[in-house]
Amino acid sequence: MKNRSLSFWLFLTPTLVALALVVFIPMLEGLFYSFTNWDGLSFTKMVGFQNYITLLHDKAFVNAFWFTVAFVIVTVIALNVIGLGLALLVTQKFKGSNFLRTVFFMPNMIGGLILGFIWQFIFTQGFSALGNALHAGWLQNWLTTEHTGFWGLVIVTVWQMSGYIMIIYIAYLQNIPQEIIEAAEIDGASAWQRFTKITFPMIAPAFTVCMFLTLSNGFKIYDQNLSLTGGGPYNSTQMLAMDIVNTAYNSSNFSLAEAKAIIFFIIVAAISLIQVFYNRKREVDM
Amino acid sequence: MSHKFWKHLATVTMVAGAALTLAACGNSNASKKNVKITILQGKVENNKQFKQIASQYEKSHPNVKIEVTSIGGGTQYDPVLKTRISSGNAPTIFSLAGPADVKQFKAHEADLSDTKAAKAAQPGTLSSVKTDGKTVGLPFNVEGYGFVYNKKVFREAGIDATSLTTYAKLQAAVKKIDSMKTKLGIKGVFALPGKEAWIMSDHLANLYIGQDFKGNALKLYNSKTMPFTKNADMKQMLDLQSTYSIKPVMQMDYSAQVNQYFSQGKTAMIQQGDWIYPTIAQIDKKFAKNDVGMIPIPVKGEEGKLPVGTSLYWAVNRQKSSAEQTAAKNFLDWLYTSKAGKKDVVNTLHFVPAYKGYSNFKMQDALTQTVFKYSNENKTIGWAFPGYTGTSWDPDVAQPNLQKYLSGKQGWAATVKNMQDGWKKQQASSSN
Repeated sequence: MKNRSLSFWLFLTPTLVALALVVFIPMLEGLFYSFTNWDGLSFTKMVGFQNYITLLHDKAFVNAFWFTVAFVIVTVIALNVIGLGLALLVTQKFKGSNFLRTVFFMPNMIGGLILGFIWQFIFTQGFSALGNALHAGWLQNWLTTEHTGFWGLVIVTVWQMSGYIMIIYIAYLQNIPQEIIEAAEIDGASAWQRFTKITFPMIAPAFTVCMFLTLSNGFKIYDQNLSLTGGGPYNSTQMLAMDIVNTAYNSSNFSLAEAKAIIFFIIVAAISLIQVFYNRKREVDM
Repeated sequence: MSHKFWKHLATVTMVAGAALTLAACGNSNASKKNVKITILQGKVENNKQFKQIASQYEKSHPNVKIEVTSIGGGTQYDPVLKTRISSGNAPTIFSLAGPADVKQFKAHEADLSDTKAAKAAQPGTLSSVKTDGKTVGLPFNVEGYGFVYNKKVFREAGIDATSLTTYAKLQAAVKKIDSMKTKLGIKGVFALPGKEAWIMSDHLANLYIGQDFKGNALKLYNSKTMPFTKNADMKQMLDLQSTYSIKPVMQMDYSAQVNQYFSQGKTAMIQQGDWIYPTIAQIDKKFAKNDVGMIPIPVKGEEGKLPVGTSLYWAVNRQKSSAEQTAAKNFLDWLYTSKAGKKDVVNTLHFVPAYKGYSNFKMQDALTQTVFKYSNENKTIGWAFPGYTGTSWDPDVAQPNLQKYLSGKQGWAATVKNMQDGWKKQQASSSN
């Protein structure tokens, strides 16, 4: 730290102050409030770990946790497979590949809330009209059961985010030196071999980034959840973030919500960091 | 660490964040004569009208300045009020939704017993806002709900809606309308919004849960148990609505019920209240004017009575200067008891008054007229549900359980039991 000059700290201060005001201090405050019976206005006593014990027995929280975990597993796999697939597609040299990039990225420019409402219309009106025309019962009554709600959320998230993931993969795909691939081709490697032995290891850093983004985004999702299913039916599609917001604002149980938020933070941070650490080891250096 | 330290720390942080907004409203007693009062109210649909009334009041009372902020719709009111209070920017006049709010904001509620408005309030309207012998709230208005029906459909089906005073008669009429569905051009007799759980958990359940508490919200709020003795009657009414509703019930929300189906003549009736009139009028003025009516939901033992009650109350902030409090009380007295104020209440806000002295006024539309009529004739059922709407039982227990029942995931007996147990658990934990 000795060689840090005054100007270094001067430049850093605004960001540090802003971060402290909107992230660090509120977080410490939240941590403190999670040990009280705070109702958003005042608190009368310290309750120790009572809120943390309550949340373990809170069926809604546990249900939201497992629902979110299932959602994250499905979306992380789907997003990375589809994102990489799209990236491979649009990096082939053919007419219109640039146009396709724009098209695939477009959903990402629409806000999650609006997207939720658009898809709600598609799922309820569009799907049922299609179901009527095709006599397909499974297209009816979407979003009215836990399963259709789950898949609805997965579809919307994948549709929205795969374009973004695609862009990251494209950047790394284009950085692969052409000579290596050509050399492999001359050596007689098939297209599949070139992909698994060269392309895939070479884009490992992209994999780390995308895994991190999709993981943490999957856990933190709220707006699509709110506008698409609103947690319904009977709170079965309520994800962690939504459960926390509802505990605080609908039930006015701010201290319990703080405790849930702290647990939520620890889970997301731990999983994301472990993932980054593990994937980093697999990356190849040129 | 003392609590004070953390409170100060919280205040400092929030003040820093909101420094710009605060700078404008820091000093309320800069000049002695001029008073500025701030209103934070929870009926967002009346935002424009309240602002109009405030500027009118400012003209006739030049030393008073009123600033109106409205919160509602998608934004929840309580968190905003809490933020304003903890950032030192608390409003002079704010709104309370029921006993749970009265308890939460106790430190800020001034005694309003001596106001003219409190004295003029209709009997029973103040019971939820009385605490320790004081009256801390003044009702905005009264509202009523029932079956809002399409007069044209009933006329063509040859049914007199006002004759449907018992469940049996209602059921027979529903079956008749259902058999003539295609001829009448409707998609279903009812439109039951399964997604909007509060329509069941608040309004419908009130008719049955409320009977054990004589429609008194405060009694319900303080009760350790929830007898729910009339649950079988509720099941009957819920089943009738869901069986003959436009499907799928669990996909329908408020706007589908009111805007998409009822306002466009696709359903014979919906369980709703007088507050939907402006929405219907916006979509089809002619239909709203000529063909909309409301009948009570027939409840055994309470036939011919309309559930009428208050969803919001005004409160005055005790922690403001006495000049500000007096100005606030004067404004509320003016609004509800002066000649000009009364006119605004009825003609500008379209409120059904919760106060005496309005007998020579005529309400503006068919739905408020119905509410006013039942209220004047004292043929009303009280609103007990504000006794639980502010508690976590409503969103965490009642609503999901009723939705589970509607989706066929859970039987009625289990639904009732979960609701009763959930209430007992909540009341036991909140008392210590």
